[in-house]
Formats: sequence, structure tokens, C-alpha cells
Amino acid sequence: MTRWPSSYPLAALIALLAILPIGVLIDLAADEAALFDAHNLRVLSNTLLLMAFTVLGSVLIGVPLALVTAYVQFPWRRLWLVILAAPLAIPSYIGAFTLYAAFGRGGEIDNLLGVPLPAMDGLPGASLVMILYSYPFVMLTTRASLLSLDASLVNAARTLGMSLGMSLWKVVLPRVATGIAAGGLLVALYTLSDFGTPAIMRLDTFTRVIFVEYNAFGLSQAAMLSLQLLVIVGLVLFLESRVRGSREKPGRHLTLWPDRPQRLLIALLVSPVILLAVVLPLAIFAVWLAREGSAGFDLRYAWNSAHASFLAALCAVVLAIPVAHAAIAGRAGRFMERVTYFGFGVPGIVMGTALVYVGLKLPFLYQTLGLLVLCYVLRFLPLAVGSVRSTAEGLDSSLVKAARVLGASPREAFQRVTLPLTLRGMIAGAALVFLEAMRELPATLMLGPTGFETLATYLWRVYEAGYFGRAAIPGLLLVLMSALGLALMLSGERRAELEVSGK
Amino acid sequence: MQRRAFLRSACLNSLAVAGAVGCLPVSAWASDTENMALSVEQLPPLEGDLTLYLGRGEGGLYENVLEAIRKRNPKFNLQVRRGVTAALANTIVAESKAGVRRADVFWAVDSGAIGLVADAGLARPLPAALTGQLKPGFQYPQWAPVTGRIRTLPYNTERVTPDRIPDSVMALADSDLSIGWAPAYASFQSFVTAMRLLEGEQATADWLKGVSERAKSYAGELGVVMGVERGEVDIGFANHYYTLRLKSGKPEAKVDLAFTNNDAGCLVNASGILALSEGDLPINFIRYLLTREVQSYLAREAYEIPLVNGVQPPQGLPALSAISPPKLDLTQLADLRPTLNLMRRVGVL
Repeated sequence: MTRWPSSYPLAALIALLAILPIGVLIDLAADEAALFDAHNLRVLSNTLLLMAFTVLGSVLIGVPLALVTAYVQFPWRRLWLVILAAPLAIPSYIGAFTLYAAFGRGGEIDNLLGVPLPAMDGLPGASLVMILYSYPFVMLTTRASLLSLDASLVNAARTLGMSLGMSLWKVVLPRVATGIAAGGLLVALYTLSDFGTPAIMRLDTFTRVIFVEYNAFGLSQAAMLSLQLLVIVGLVLFLESRVRGSREKPGRHLTLWPDRPQRLLIALLVSPVILLAVVLPLAIFAVWLAREGSAGFDLRYAWNSAHASFLAALCAVVLAIPVAHAAIAGRAGRFMERVTYFGFGVPGIVMGTALVYVGLKLPFLYQTLGLLVLCYVLRFLPLAVGSVRSTAEGLDSSLVKAARVLGASPREAFQRVTLPLTLRGMIAGAALVFLEAMRELPATLMLGPTGFETLATYLWRVYEAGYFGRAAIPGLLLVLMSALGLALMLSGERRAELEVSGK
Repeated sequence: MQRRAFLRSACLNSLAVAGAVGCLPVSAWASDTENMALSVEQLPPLEGDLTLYLGRGEGGLYENVLEAIRKRNPKFNLQVRRGVTAALANTIVAESKAGVRRADVFWAVDSGAIGLVADAGLARPLPAALTGQLKPGFQYPQWAPVTGRIRTLPYNTERVTPDRIPDSVMALADSDLSIGWAPAYASFQSFVTAMRLLEGEQATADWLKGVSERAKSYAGELGVVMGVERGEVDIGFANHYYTLRLKSGKPEAKVDLAFTNNDAGCLVNASGILALSEGDLPINFIRYLLTREVQSYLAREAYEIPLVNGVQPPQGLPALSAISPPKLDLTQLADLRPTLNLMRRVGVL
């Protein structure tokens, strides 16, 4: 007789909740059967092109940077690594907003320096922005794989007469291909779900068109488009689950010592990326701040952001615990866990569309903070589950067994052994959820209670109204909070990935 | 004294619209007859909770008006939900279908959205004393126009001369001018609705197709005017006040206004407000928006056209008599759904 682990019923319930949006979307889409038309085809091709360009660009930038940060010795390596990862701390819609405002005739660069640059919009603009803000995913995953390699193979190749470049190409890269692929798929997923960048760059991708449909309250058409987008997301998620990191026995790290001109060359190649992705947005905000000050800004927006995100983080972690434990307990539990992962692939705009409809059916939830928080939780639960599970897995099970042998009930063993030891993972998970919720834009626009303005929605409002200068304070606050979160990540969970090696 | 405070706070909060005439109290309307605009002094104070759906994204002048009303009425708790006008109109209808009512008042930037809600039977009748203050032609039993706006063609004065601009909006589709537009913007959609009603489905579809080949899309019509001024396009479609506001802040701006003749291109539309819930509070709130102070503030700072008797129009706009708008009942603009379907079918939305 097998007894089901006690975490199963709860986890099953949560998994069920996680796929609720799909049911809602199918129900909604059944109303109107305009499955596909010529316009859809354009939207589909725009979306796929943007995804392809972004992945390609991120690999082209991310892989060389991974090589440099993993192997090349130069002063202040840790600082450089942090700077190169810094675009992660900037929500891509902020990048899109500032780049859009900076370039073009009459843009800020033209105003300040008198140099009219070509406008930044459409597919090229959106691709550039997405690349700038997602290459760190590829850089970090690739770098992690690079650091797990043994340098002796490269040394052997070089002893046998292969040039350094050739040996990196033929010996190193094939062995980190899965790392690159994992990063690339993350980038693809991120691109599919992003709403702000295509909207600001005026590129009709699925997310933007869904928003237009929603705004015309064409809920059924929005639902149909959402389902189409989810098919693509599902495909990417499937590919991602196929990519398995290959593990080699780590050995000595490869270390390269460039001479001065080489270092200069590297710096020269890296600087445009940093200038565009980090320096430019901050500079534009600084200009706006100097010009407009804090006009129109209300501290309540920051408080609202923090408040809603905090509630989401708290709920996500509480729900993550049974799911994570179910995942460790057995195969069925692992399946339930995979189901909750689905939410992370669902773009905020799609989740928002589904939950608006749920709200209209259940008026006590409509336009309440509760529904907004539920949306955040459904979307970002996997982040909490992931970090709770990884710490719980690392737990030495003999500790629990020892507690049990010494007479503790399962409950007591959990409270006194498991819980304290997994607290770190919970906090890391909560921090991740908090951060993502803080940055979430479309779902917040759709679901927020009346009068509930957050940093993200206020930013969007001033963009729409053309009062760009007022974006400075909310923009800087969002970047600052994201940066704090990134710092937390660097010092905690992801330490292993980012650790500067060779010491 | 209190009126002073109202005006001052309204002025202090105003955006840096340089060159705005000083905030002088209105004085020219001494002969307060019954049908003239009232002063805020004559209105009862507002008390209680009210939720306003505001079909306007900007954080600017309407906000200042609301803020001034809040300051004047400390016991008045006003919640504002902002959004795209058409979206809010549709939301209100969808809410009522689901048996939910969240908004007490709906203030929309164009009358099409107002008509949509009124046609769904959701608007409460307004007292005759209130509608009687409005200019003839703008009196409706179920909603009150707040300010008027004219569809215009802002053009870049460096790239285009006025004689190259056709005086028929339909002819623009065949011209060689590059065009800026904001198809997702409510005012633009109302304009297309007017065209559909005046010229028919097919002509409108052809026109949209023709223009879209040379058009650049913007998020809103302020964006259109800024794009025209920067020289990204030759000419655009936008309500009149965006151009006037831009020019008042930047007198050397390379943009000017052109008008078409007796077609949808020079439609006079109105922002409007209606009450969704019963009681005096929504009605009295609407009364505040029709006061001399608010109307002249919106005319002076926002360059919108006051629609209450006895308030002067904004500067820099040709007299309404010099413009030949098409004859169209504004509430007909509510017929938005076919317009959206049409725009979607042609692929511009």
C-alpha cells in the first residue's frame, strides 16, 4: 500500500489553479471564431522575427562576453561582470522608452548635441532593445557552462598546434552548446511575453495586438490571439525542457592574459553595449529629472508597487512550499510542479485578459487588489517553487530521519528541521517574485483597482500622454529596486553562476 | 476668496505651458443670466464617495481640474480610473452586463464613447437647468458635452506649403504627402466613424488603405503633432489643441494647422460626461465641470473650446464660423463597433 505524500492534495489544487487561465481563454475564444486572417499572419511573422533576431543577437553578444568574463584576466573582473549583467536590472520597456525618446529627429540626443540620429522604432528598434536587455541571460548561462569545463582539453589542442581561436571554436563551444541553447530559449520566452517594448517601438506583435483588442474590449478576439501566442510559448517551453545541461568533471580553469592592445580592443567592443543598455537610459532620466524635477509624482505610487508586490511574494512562497515538497516526494508531484511552471510562460497580458473575465464573473474579485495579487502569484509562482525546491533538495534527508527517530512527529520535524533550513530559499524566492511583480506592466494596467497607480502604470501613462519628463522618477526608482534585487540574487542563489573563478 | 484659491491652485498646478495668460479671475460675465455658466461659488459643496472613469491617459490638465475640485471639497472622496476612452466605455458596458457597477460618472474625450454607453441605457437623465447652460446644438438630455475639439491637419511648415494640402480629407489618400496618425486613439476612431457615416463603408475602407501605405503610426495624437513638428511626416491627423499647446510652449515650432472643408476631416467633436448612478452627487460633480472657472481654465490652458454659454474660446484658433464642419449628430458616433471591425479588416488596427 502506498500512502500519498501529504503535500499532494494541496499541490494538486494549486496546479489546477495555475491552468485555470487556459480554461478561461478557451471559453472566451469560443465566442468568436475569427481564428486567423491576413492581419494575424503579419502579427505572427512580426512576433517570430522579433524572437529570432533577439535570440540571434543575444547569442552573438552574450557568448563572446561569456568567454571574456569567464577566461580573460583583467583588472576589476568582478566589477565588469556586474556591469555587464546590469541590463537585467532595467526592465526592457524602460530601455525602449528612453531609446525611443533619445533617437530620431528632435529626440533628446538631437536636442542636446545637435546630432540627428535615425529614429529607433519598428522591428529594428524593438530587436535592438530586446537584445540589449536580454543578452545577459545567454551570457550568464554560457558562462556557467564555461566555468564547469576543464582547461586541459584546450591546452592539449593548443599543444597540438591549434590556434587559440580555433581551439575555443572547436573544443570549447561545442561543449557549452547546451548552456547557450538554454540561455537562448530563456531569451525567446522573454521576448514572447514582453509587452512594453513592442508597444513603444510600435511593432505589432501578439502582446501589442492583444492589448489593442482588449482596449476595444474585444475580449474573445484577445483570447483567441492569446491562445495562439500560448502555442508558441508552449513550443519554446517544450524545447527548453529538452535541453539538459551536460556535466563534466570540473578541472582547472582556462585563464587568458591579454596584452594591453588586446584589452583595449575588448573594451572598445564592449563599450557600445554598455553605453546603449545602461548609460543612455540613466543619462536620459537624469536629463529629464533636471528638466522637470518631481512634477506629478506621488510617493504613493512607489508604496502601491511595493505593497502589491510584497503581498504577491508572500502568497507565492506560501503556495510554493507544498508544491516544492510534492515535487520532491514523487513523480506525480513532479508533474504538478511542471504544471505550475506553465504560469511563467503565460505573458502578463494574457493572464490579465483571462483574469478580467474571471473578475467579471466573480464581482467580489473584480478590480480588487486580491485579483491583481492572484495574477502576480500565478505568473511568478515558479520562481518561488524553483528556489524553495532547490534548497529543500539540498537538504540532507538524514537530518529529518534523525529527528523522526528521536521522536519528532512529521509536523515537528518539518517545523524544527526542514523549515529553518529552507528559509534561505524561501527568502530568495520571495525576492524574485517581488521584483518581477514590481516590474509587471500590462497585467497591472488591466487588473489594478481604481485609483491604484504603481510605478509601472504611472510610467506607462506619462509615455502615452507624451509627458516624457515625468518618467524620470518612477523610472529611476524601478531601476534602483531592480538593481537591489539583482544584488540580492548575485549574493545569494546565483552565486555559483556568477562567482569569479580561479581563486 | 475660495474662488481665488480654486483658480490659484488650478494655475499653480498647470503644466509649463509657457505664455499662458495670467490667471486673472474671469470678469467679463457680470450679466449672469440663467443660461450662463455658473461660478463654483454658486454650487453646493460635494460630499461623499464618487468613482470617475476618466477616458484620458494624460497626467495633465484634467488632473489639475480634478485636484482643484478635491481641494475645494475636503469631504469629497473622488476615485479616478484612467484609461483609453473606448476601452472604458466598453468596460462600463461589459460591467453592466455582468451585473457590476463600479463607475458613478464617465468623462470621455469623445462623444462616440459617450453615445456607446448611453445607447446601452446606462446614462441617467440630466436636469434641464444643467443642459440649458450649454450652447445650442450641444444640449443632450442624457449627457453633457464638456469641451469641444476640431479635427485638424497639423502640417510641417518646412516640408509642406498650405497650397499642397487638399481641402478634402478624402483627397488626402491620393496625395503624395507622408502622413502621421494614431489609429488606436479614440478621437481618430470617432473621426473614421464620421467618415463611415458620411461617405459609406467602401469609400472609408479605400481611404484607410490608401492612407495606411504612406502613414506612420503614433500612440496618441500628441505624438502625431510632435512627429509632424520633428519632420518625421509631412502632415498628420489630430485634434486642434495638441498643435496649439505645442506652439504655446514652443512658439518657433515648425507646425501649423490646416482645415478641410465640410467633411469628416474638420468634424467638431466634444468631450463629454454622463452620470451612471443616481443621486445628486454625480450631477453636482458634472455641474462643477461646467462652471466658468473650469471652462475658462480648459480653454486657456488646454486650448479646448468651451461649450457653456458666456465663456470665451481659446486663442489661436480660427473662429468657429470660419470652419465648415459636416452636419452630424454627435451621438451617432457611438456606432464604433463597425468602425473597429472595418479598421481591423483593412489592417490598420
